Amino acid sequence: MGTMVSLSVEMPDAIGDPGAVDGPGAVDNADAWDAARASVHDVFRALDERFSLYREDSELSRVAIGDLDLTQTSNELRETYELAVRWRSATAGAFTPDRPDGVLDLNGIVKAIAIDRAGRALSDAGAENWCVNAGGDILYRGSPEPGTRWVTGITDPADHTKLLTSIELFGDYVAVATSGYSERGLHVWHRGPIRNGFVQVTAMAADIITADVLATAALATPPDEWNAFLAEHPVDILAVDATGALTVTPRLLDYFAAAAAG
Amino acid sequence: MRVRSFFVAAAASGAVVLIGWELGAQHATPMIASSSPADPSTQAASPASPSPSAVPPPTASASAGGTAPASSGGTFAGAVVQHPYGTVQVTVTIAGGKLTDAKVQLTESDGHSQRIDDYAAPILRSSVLSAQSAKVNSVSGATYTSDAYLQSLQSALDKAHFAG
Repeated sequence: MGTMVSLSVEMPDAIGDPGAVDGPGAVDNADAWDAARASVHDVFRALDERFSLYREDSELSRVAIGDLDLTQTSNELRETYELAVRWRSATAGAFTPDRPDGVLDLNGIVKAIAIDRAGRALSDAGAENWCVNAGGDILYRGSPEPGTRWVTGITDPADHTKLLTSIELFGDYVAVATSGYSERGLHVWHRGPIRNGFVQVTAMAADIITADVLATAALATPPDEWNAFLAEHPVDILAVDATGALTVTPRLLDYFAAAAAG
Repeated sequence: MRVRSFFVAAAASGAVVLIGWELGAQHATPMIASSSPADPSTQAASPASPSPSAVPPPTASASAGGTAPASSGGTFAGAVVQHPYGTVQVTVTIAGGKLTDAKVQLTESDGHSQRIDDYAAPILRSSVLSAQSAKVNSVSGATYTSDAYLQSLQSALDKAHFAG
């Protein structure tokens, strides 16, 4: 998918002392880390093999060229399509798997599914504190250090070497996703011309699929239409327009006010 | 349509906090707040009024009442004011007669986003400053290609992690 996956995971030390530089504890922990990394890699590779439109032999590519009828596809592909269509309804069409050229492209939701599954794999492996960042979309569990919360830096769309701000996870949020026009690889298609002027939208949610889908949907719709899905889903949004002006939802406004007050 | 609203909260010490911001009104017809804490009897400011309006005497959450000496301090909540898009309440904290904290509590009536350019900009600049001192664990941005990743802040973070 051309997406880099960054993994930050603290493996449980029940099998040994992670701080040991030698001895069986250190070795076991390194093995556990390698196993966790491999399981995350496997999750992404499997989904890429089925859904990538950059692979001619992927199942979805075969659907796109008419080689395979949707009714003859795997359960996984049809379930993913169903999920995408449900989100299309939930966002009044702002998020859609249907490209303007008629090609079915599920990658807008597959990346989020991959992150979700990768997280499950890490939890299944016994990791309690981890962070999966796939192409700027992030899912967290636990905490970076005891008594602290994960902190997400949000890139400045005008200069990707700079951060616009940073946000500590709050409430039930464990996922942060950003959609924007500043990088290639979008899965955002507009019903007509761009209407809201936003170049980057970040969404925080209690799961990565909701965060990812709604960041994309909010990028494609003007704020007065956000209400349709914000009312149904507890998310917060930080949007940046081409002039650098910011639009945020109320809880995030409170967060920034509290952060500024120190 | 843009509506500029001002709300004034008077604290017991006599300190006055003036908070103004711009609401980019997106909805012509406001929805009814279903969970608004506002008591209609405490509404004091006309939302669309361009002139500052005084709210009723604040209620103190500390022992100090509205006429308490400033030195006793405390946290004082201004009246909840209804505006077409929700409610707003200013809370100020007074210690030793000095204003030490002011917080704006804004509740949306309909979960609708707002245009808050004038108000948000200084807050966000402060947040950027705090971001530089805070330890960022991960970076969220628009989809990175492999090439872009190499130039990205996340890449730098990863290198730091692996080096550490």
